[in-house]
Amino acid sequence: MVDPEIGPAVSCDGVVMSNEPVSSGLVRLDLELDQPLSFQPGQFAMLNLAGADPLVFSRPFSIFKADGRRMSFLYRIVGRGTRAMGALVPGDAMTFLGPLGRPFPQPETDQPVVLIAGGVGLPPLAAWLARRSDHPGLEIQAFFGARDGADVPWDLLDDRWDVSVDSLKDVPDGRRAWKGLVTDLAATSKDLQDGRNRMVLACGPTPLLKAAARFAEARGWGCWLSLEEHMGCGYGVCKGCVVPVLDPDKGPEARRNATCCQEGPVFNAELLAWKRPHRSQ
Amino acid sequence: MSLPDWWTIDPNQPFTLGPRLFPGRIWTASGCFAYGLTGHDMKSANFTSPYQGLGAVVTKTVTPQPRAGNPMPRLAETPMGAINSIGLENVGFGEFLAETLPALERKGVPTVVSLAATRPDEFGDMVAMLHETAAGFTHWHGVEINLSCPNVAEGGHDFGRDPATVSACVRAARRNLPDRALLAKLTPNVTDIAELATAAAEAGVDAVSAINTVIGLEVDLETGRPVLPRRFGGYSGPAIRPIALAKVDEIVTRAGVPVVAVGGIGDFRDALKFFALGAVAVQVGTAQMRDPFAAARISRNLIRG
Ligand SMILES: Cc1cc2nc3c(=O)[nH]c(=O)nc-3n(C[C@H](O)[C@H](O)[C@H](O)COP(=O)(O)OP(=O)(O)OC[C@H]3O[C@@H](n4cnc5c(N)ncnc54)[C@H](O)[C@@H]3O)c2cc1C
Ligand SMILES: Cc1cc2nc3c(=O)[nH]c(=O)nc-3n(C[C@H](O)[C@H](O)[C@H](O)COP(=O)(O)O)c2cc1C
Ligand code: FES
Repeated sequence: MVDPEIGPAVSCDGVVMSNEPVSSGLVRLDLELDQPLSFQPGQFAMLNLAGADPLVFSRPFSIFKADGRRMSFLYRIVGRGTRAMGALVPGDAMTFLGPLGRPFPQPETDQPVVLIAGGVGLPPLAAWLARRSDHPGLEIQAFFGARDGADVPWDLLDDRWDVSVDSLKDVPDGRRAWKGLVTDLAATSKDLQDGRNRMVLACGPTPLLKAAARFAEARGWGCWLSLEEHMGCGYGVCKGCVVPVLDPDKGPEARRNATCCQEGPVFNAELLAWKRPHRSQ
Repeated sequence: MSLPDWWTIDPNQPFTLGPRLFPGRIWTASGCFAYGLTGHDMKSANFTSPYQGLGAVVTKTVTPQPRAGNPMPRLAETPMGAINSIGLENVGFGEFLAETLPALERKGVPTVVSLAATRPDEFGDMVAMLHETAAGFTHWHGVEINLSCPNVAEGGHDFGRDPATVSACVRAARRNLPDRALLAKLTPNVTDIAELATAAAEAGVDAVSAINTVIGLEVDLETGRPVLPRRFGGYSGPAIRPIALAKVDEIVTRAGVPVVAVGGIGDFRDALKFFALGAVAVQVGTAQMRDPFAAARISRNLIRG
């Protein structure tokens, strides 16, 4: 596996080009930035409202697509900041800082890859999949989990995605969805029973990430997870977003804090301590 | 808004603070810009770097030993502010001296080192070691002693709340810091901040930095419990600007010691309010977290409007 090259993060302004629902729970935001930018799938941006009254902290969002100056995101409205974002209309201004953080790795050889995405965990893995289209030989299985049929952004998912839903309600005619957890869908997939060593990449809510890590571990496969922590700065200066990780250099029990925004958000599952950090001395 | 007529200072003009000439009057505040971004690459079409026009970066507070900090979550946001409970996570004084400060020097970043300790004599020891290691550094301009941490020797009270302890800490540091600026960072969580500023001035500081964060708490309505595991945190951002302005005014009018103002500064208008009260320089904290170019922008706008 290889870590892609990461460019500098850019602070610039963006103008909303469109801000429209793509499913019952997901909104797609397209920004036109001051300058063209590229990114690596798994990287994110800190977005904020422009003008005199920005949110005190910008909000982290995975980058879904970039094409020249246009950058796209998929988000769910959950609180004050995303509600304000939901009210933006074309022509409104936003501030942008990104791309930030460590992306998903790329497989070195033709090692097959399993993608597991849940809800708003879709954008980085959809970006990853889009990036691999120029390597048709690579075998990729992609699994996406949503709440129900209406929550799935069907138009953004090509036929490489297998879909699971908590409820089969509103699954459109001609579309296939499986009822249950997305990690169970992956575990029962016939395509994954051939004994080949695979690499698992996952993004979604914490229970999904833990299940994905167990799924990979049970098979002895490598696993990379994109974590969500609350962030202040998003660029590594405040230590507000730390994740406890193992520190093998210092011993098998040793741990240290890693910044989710800078050392992550993508972590090798083997290094995650999955518990609360040590209390301060 | 254009710049007001009374504003005649060039914030990028070097100015004297104690024994040092600082390159400018717009600084970043401790804890909001790490150790001055060492290791990052940040770009903006409008600035050559986040350091453009910066008078100093005040480092994250460094303690004698490394600290892992507090449990997560460490941040809560309000409509106008932020409450943090980072718990002084830092690399520790040893690594800071060996790695971080030399890196800042190589990069040419004007630096003020923020220190915290548990006893007054520890401040003296740390400053002596700094002086020994960095005597030849040209970009290390001063030390800011953070007087808002639990004072173990005094039984867990904040250092910064007792004038006698403030005085002891300042004296211990000053003794070993003949040729760099010494600042004491004051907490607003006291009845009379001017009294503390006076104590710091009499003990030999070149300026006081005011204010540190205001004690705050946020409740999660879903759980009915405080958001932060440690219950209390430090409130910062636009919400505390009026408090900072009041505290700065009290110090300027009653203590007669130079003030480096900090608290809720997000743009050049905010900075101007503190300069109007007589601050000699300002620091940008929470706003710098949102935008790595916030201080650079303020510095530029104080020249151009
Ligand atoms: C690396 C990363 C990538 C992300 N990518 C996406 C994405 O592509 N699409 C998407 O919809 N969401 C994404 N999120 C989650 C998104 O940042 C939050 O939903 C958003 O910050 C909520 O803001 P709010 O003001 O609406 O919520 P509020 O609950 O009002 O926010 C209060 C504070 O908590 C923080 N917060 C709340 N929920 C989360 C969360 N789940 N993760 C991190 N911080 C949170 C906010 O940033 C804010 O500082 C991502 C998070 C991270 C860390
Ligand atoms: C996340 C965070 C971490 C901070 N860490 C420190 C610190 O280590 N030492 C210190 O003296 N002040 C620290 N502060 C306080 C700031 O330096 C500043 O005094 C305060 O936030 C008020 O300024 P502001 O409103 O511009 O943020 C911290 C503030 C924040 C928000
Ligand atoms: S959000 Fe500030 S260090 Fe990660």
